[in-house]
Amino acid sequence: MANVTLEHVTKRYEDVVAVDDMNLDIRDGEFVCLVGPSGCGKSTTMETIAGLTKPTEGTITIGDRDVTKLPPKDRGVAMVFQNIALFPHMDVYDNISFGLRLRDYDKEEIDRRVERASDIVQLEGMLDRMPEEMSGGQRQRVAIARAIVREPDVFLMDEPLANLDAKLRVHMRTELQRLHKQLDTTIIYVTHDQAEAMTMSDRIAVINSGELQQIDPPLVCYNEPTNRFVAGFIGSPSMNMVDGELTPDGVKTDTFEIALAPESLSGVWDGDAVTLGIRPEDVYPTEVADELAHPTAPIEVSTDVLEPMGDEIFVYLKLDGAEADDTMEGERSSNSLLMSVDPDSDIAEDDRISVVLDASKIHLFDADSGDAIAHGVVDTAAPAADSAVAESEGGD
Amino acid sequence: MATDPDSESNLGPLSRWTNRIITDQDARDRLYRGLFYAITVFFLVTTLFPFYWLLVLALTPNSEILSGGWDLPFLRPQGFNPAAFQEVFQQIPFHLYVLNSFILATLTTIIVLIIASLAGYVFGRLEFPGRGLLMLGILMISYFPPAAFLLPLFDAFVGNPIVAPFINVELFTPPRLVNTPGAMVLPFSALFLPLSIFILTTFYAQIPDGLEDAARVEGTTRLGALFRVIIPLSAPGVATAAVLTFISVYNEYFFSSIMSLQNEPQEWSPLVGGILSYQTQYTTEFNLMAAAAVIGVLPVVILVIIAQEKIVSGLTAGALKE
Repeated sequence: MANVTLEHVTKRYEDVVAVDDMNLDIRDGEFVCLVGPSGCGKSTTMETIAGLTKPTEGTITIGDRDVTKLPPKDRGVAMVFQNIALFPHMDVYDNISFGLRLRDYDKEEIDRRVERASDIVQLEGMLDRMPEEMSGGQRQRVAIARAIVREPDVFLMDEPLANLDAKLRVHMRTELQRLHKQLDTTIIYVTHDQAEAMTMSDRIAVINSGELQQIDPPLVCYNEPTNRFVAGFIGSPSMNMVDGELTPDGVKTDTFEIALAPESLSGVWDGDAVTLGIRPEDVYPTEVADELAHPTAPIEVSTDVLEPMGDEIFVYLKLDGAEADDTMEGERSSNSLLMSVDPDSDIAEDDRISVVLDASKIHLFDADSGDAIAHGVVDTAAPAADSAVAESEGGD
Repeated sequence: MATDPDSESNLGPLSRWTNRIITDQDARDRLYRGLFYAITVFFLVTTLFPFYWLLVLALTPNSEILSGGWDLPFLRPQGFNPAAFQEVFQQIPFHLYVLNSFILATLTTIIVLIIASLAGYVFGRLEFPGRGLLMLGILMISYFPPAAFLLPLFDAFVGNPIVAPFINVELFTPPRLVNTPGAMVLPFSALFLPLSIFILTTFYAQIPDGLEDAARVEGTTRLGALFRVIIPLSAPGVATAAVLTFISVYNEYFFSSIMSLQNEPQEWSPLVGGILSYQTQYTTEFNLMAAAAVIGVLPVVILVIIAQEKIVSGLTAGALKE
C-alpha cells in the first residue's frame, strides 16, 4: 500500500502532447478513476505510472520512492489490462503465479497465495484450465487474481471491464468495489465511462486533451464542476448548456432571462459572454414551481421528443426564438433544453408549456475559457452562500 | 445448361461427361477426388523417387551399376548388397563427417536463433527511426551471392593481416580459422541470418503488446518477456527458422569444402565432403556414395518428423488471422 504522486508529468510524442503537466496526488488506499473521452491521455498517464512509458518530463513517486526511472517490474505495481492479456500458453495457475515464480518464492508460499487469490475472485477448481477454455468474465477474474496475488502497493486497472458485456460489467463493478474494501489497496482505474467512475471511485480525475480538469469526489465533480468540460462529461444525460450574456439584472439568453446580481460574482462584468448550465433534473414544469425554494421566471418552450425511461421521462424542449443551431454542444445543440420529469407527468409531444429552472442549481461558465463562474445563482437578495467559485486544484 | 433431353442425344461422349460433371454432385465429387489423387501421386513420385533411386543404387554392387543392365521401366536393385552400408564406414570414417555437419548445423542454428530473436524483437516490436532502412539493408545483404564473400573471407581466415584498401594500412591480424568450425559457422550464421530475421520479425510482431506489457509489469525485463512470453507463443516460427537454418547448413558444401583445406574429418570437412571422398582419381564407388547419402539424410528426416507439426503451422501462420 502506498500513495502515488505525479508531479509535472508530461509525455510528448513527436508532435502530440499526450499528457500535459499532470499533477496528481493519490492517497494510500484510495480508489481513483481517471476518466475522460478516448484519446485524452488517461491511458498514457497510467502507462507512465506503470513504467511502460517513460514520461518526457516530471517525476512519479510511489510510496516514498521516486520510480520515474525504474522499470515496471521494480515499481511494486500490478496491472489489469483492457484486453485482459492472459498468457495463452499457460494455464490459470501458471498465469496467476507468473509474477511470484519470477521472484523465486518457494512452492508452498506460491500455492498458498494462489489459493487465496483464486478464493477472492471465486476461481476455485479452475486452476488447471487454459485461458481459451474460459469465458470473458472468468478470464477477467484470472487477470485480477494475477494482480492481487503479488500483493502490490498499487493496482492499475486500464478499462478492465470495457470488453465485457453490459450485465457482466455491472456485476464486476460491484465485485471490484468489494475487492477494494477487502484489500484496502490503492487503486487507479482508467475508464471512459463516467458512470463507472461515478459509482466506484473515492475521487474522480477528469482529464481532457492531456490536461487534468478536476480531481474531486464524484458528487463534487457532479455538483460543482470546475469548467464546462467537466460539467458536460460527468452526468448522463449531460448538462444543458445555453449561451447568453451578463446584464446588470442577471443573465440574458436569446429566449429567456435569469435574475441575479452580477456583483455577487467575482471576476466577471456586465456584458461578458457566459454559458448557463442546468442539469435535466433541475428543469421543472411551471406547475411544480411552488415546491422550489428558488425558481426562476417561467420560460416558454415547446416540447419536441419524449423518451420514457420507466422511472422518468426525458423531454426535449425547443427554446422559443432561438435560431436553429446545428453546432453540437456535448450531445445537444444549444437551442434546446432537456428536462427529466416524473413518469406519470401529463406531457405530450409538440405541445406548448412553460418551465422553470432551479436557480440554486444553475451553473455559470465563462464563454471563452469555459471556467466555472458560479454554481447556483440564487436571487439577488439571498446571500451567495453556495455560489462560491469552486477553485479546486488544476482548474485551468 | 444443356439439360434438354433432345439435345443430349446429339452430344459427343466428352460433352455428355462434362454435362454430367456440371449437373451431378456425385460425379463432381468423384472427379475432384480423382484429381486429388493424381496430383498427390505426382508429387509423391517426384519427391520420393530420388530416395528410392538412392536406395536402389546403394543395394546394387558397383560393378552392376557400371555395366548398366537396368530392367526398364521398373528400376530395381541388380543384386542385393546391404554390405555397402557397412563398407561406407570401413573405407573412411564417414560417421565423423556426419558428426561435423551435425555440429556445424547445430552451432549455426543456435547462433542464428539467438541473434535473429533479438533482431526480430527489435524490428517487430519497437518503433525507431531508420527501421525500414535497416530492414532493407538486411534484405540487400541476403541477395548477395555467397561466393562474393568467399575470397575476402578465405584471405582473412587463413590468418593474413587485414589491410585497409587504397591506403595500405595494416589494421589487424585475424586468428587463423581455417580447418576450425569458426571458419564455417561465422559465414553460415551471417548468410542464413536474414531469412530467420524475417521469419521471426513477422511472428514477434503479431504478439499483442498487452502480453508483453503484462509480463513486464509482472516482473520481467524486456528480454525476459521475449524469452518467457513472446518466443513460446511464436514456437512455430522459431521451429521453422531453426529447421530451415539447420538443413541449409547440414547440406552446405561450397564454403566448408574450401574452409577445410584437406578433405579430412579432422579438419571439419562436412557430410558432402565425406560422400565425395568415395570418388578417387580412378574409381567412383557409386553404391557407397548412395549408401552414404541415405545415411546422411536420416538425421534431417528425424528432425523434420519431430518438428513437422510446428513447421507446417509456421509456414502457413502468416496467412491466417486468429
